Amino acid sequence: MPSDITLDELRLRSARAGLTLSDQELQHMLSGVNRSQEQAAVLRELFADEIEPAHHFLLVLKG
Amino acid sequence: MLADLPYLPVTEAAARLRRKEFSPVELTEACLERIAKTDGQLHAFITVTADLALEQARQAERELMRGSDRGPLHGIPIALKDLYATKGIRTTCHSAVLQDWLPDFTATAAVKLTEAGAVLLGKLGMHEFAFGGPATDAPFPAVRNPWNTAHVPGGSSSGSGAALAAGLCLGALGSDTGGSIRTPSSHCGIAGIKPTYGRVSRCGVVPLSWSLDHAGPMARTVEDCALLLQAIAGHDSKDPASVNIPVPDFRLELKRDIKGMRIGVPRENWFDEQKGTDRETETVFNAALRTLKGLGAIIVEIDGKPFANARKANQTILVAEAYAYHEKRFQEAPEKFGTSVRRRMLEGAFLSAADYIAALRARTVLGEQIRALFSHLDAFATPTVARPPETFDGLDPNEQNLRPNFTNPFNLAGLPAISVPCGFTEGNLPVGIQIAAQPFKESTVFRVAYAYEQMTDWHKRRPTL
Repeated sequence: MPSDITLDELRLRSARAGLTLSDQELQHMLSGVNRSQEQAAVLRELFADEIEPAHHFLLVLKG
Repeated sequence: MLADLPYLPVTEAAARLRRKEFSPVELTEACLERIAKTDGQLHAFITVTADLALEQARQAERELMRGSDRGPLHGIPIALKDLYATKGIRTTCHSAVLQDWLPDFTATAAVKLTEAGAVLLGKLGMHEFAFGGPATDAPFPAVRNPWNTAHVPGGSSSGSGAALAAGLCLGALGSDTGGSIRTPSSHCGIAGIKPTYGRVSRCGVVPLSWSLDHAGPMARTVEDCALLLQAIAGHDSKDPASVNIPVPDFRLELKRDIKGMRIGVPRENWFDEQKGTDRETETVFNAALRTLKGLGAIIVEIDGKPFANARKANQTILVAEAYAYHEKRFQEAPEKFGTSVRRRMLEGAFLSAADYIAALRARTVLGEQIRALFSHLDAFATPTVARPPETFDGLDPNEQNLRPNFTNPFNLAGLPAISVPCGFTEGNLPVGIQIAAQPFKESTVFRVAYAYEQMTDWHKRRPTL
C-alpha cells in the first residue's frame, strides 16, 4: 500500500496538473485525495493483471 | 377540485383528460399555481417555463379535441433535471459554471417526451453537476425535502424528487451515476428507475461519468415510471453507449403476480459494512420483504461481498471521468465550482491511468460476479439508502463513505434498478426499497415493484406543505 500523500506532494502534483489551488484548499482536499488513492490501491491488490478492463474499443464504420 | 390535479398519477390524469373532466390547460395551470404557491419553500425549480407550458398545453388540447392522440403522456405536465439540454432554455447544471448557458439543441430524451405530447413546466434543481452534496454556495438555493424542509431531499436529482413529492408536476426525468435517481426517490417517497445502461439515450445530458451515467424517469407510481420509460427508451445513434435492442411494452408484464420469483437479499458482508445500515431503515426494509414473501416471492439471503466491493471501483471511475470532463474548467477557473463538488471532483486529478484501469478491471470481475447470481435469482432487493435523509445542519460529506452504498453497484454493473416507497421513519421521513434485475429486464423490476406497491399505500401519502 503506498504511503499517504503529504501537503507538499499534493502542492507539486497540483501544479503539474495545471491547477492553481491555495494551500487552504489543498489542505481541505488532502484526506479525500488520500482516501481515493487508498481505494485505487485496494483495487490493484484485489484484481489481478490478467483481467481485461471493462473498456472496449468498438470499430463502427459509418455510411 | 382543480387544486388536487397536480397529485394525480399520470395514468389517472390521462384517462380523465380523455373523458374531458378537465383539459391539459387546466391541468398545467393547476401545476403552475402549485409551483407558485409552494416552491418558495422547496426550491425544486431553477427555471419555470410557464409560457411554453401553456402553449404546449393549448396545443395538446387542440390535438386531443380533434382526436389526434399521441398517447398517455399527451397533455401531461412534466419537468426536467437541469442537466438535460433544452434548446433556448437555460440549462445550468445548478452551477455558476453554466448559469447562462442557452443550448442550441435539445436532449434526445426531452425531444421524445415532447413528441409524446408532454408539457414542459421547467428545469429542476440538483446537486451541482450531479455530484457532491447540496451546494450552499451555488447561484441557486439547495432543494429542500417536502416531508421536512430541514432535511435533504437526496441527490443528485433532488429537484425531481422534491417536485414530485410536493405535487408540482406529474413526472420528471433525472440522471443516475451512483444513485442519483434512486436516492431522491427514496428520500422523497416517490418512485424512480435507473434503466439498463444503454436503454435510454444520454445525448444532451451533461455528463458526470460517461461509463456510469444513466438517464431515467421519476414519478409517483411504478406504472407512471413505466409509461415515462416507454416514451424515452430506444436506440439513439447520437449516444455511443445506446444499445440497439427492441423496447418491450413495459406495462405488459406489470400486473403479473410474483409467485415463485426468487429475490436475492445481499445482506451478509454488506448491510453491516462500517457504520452499517440504520436500524430503523433495516426494520422497514425487512417488513417490505415480508410483504413480498406474502405475495409468493421466495426471499434468498446471499453474500453481499461483490456488491460491497463495487463502491471503490465506482468512485474511482466516477472521479477520474468527471475530472477528465471538467479538467479545462478546473485549470481556468476552479472558483466557479461550488466547494463540495470542487473538492470531490479534484480527487480525480491525482489518480493515475493505472488506477483507472484497476477500477475497470474490478468492473469486469464484479459485473460478472453479480450477473452470475441470476443463474438462480430473478431479482435483488436492498434498502435504497442506508439511512433516512439527514438534516442540512448535520450534513457530513464523509458519511456516505461510512455506510453501505446500495445503489452504485447497479451503475457499475449497468443493471436496471428502481426505488419505491416502503415505509416511514418515526420522524415521518420516507424509506425506499430498491429492486434490481438482469440487464434489459426493466419489466421484471416493474413487475416486482408494482406487486409490492399494490399491497401498500406508502405511495399515496402526501407531505404537508
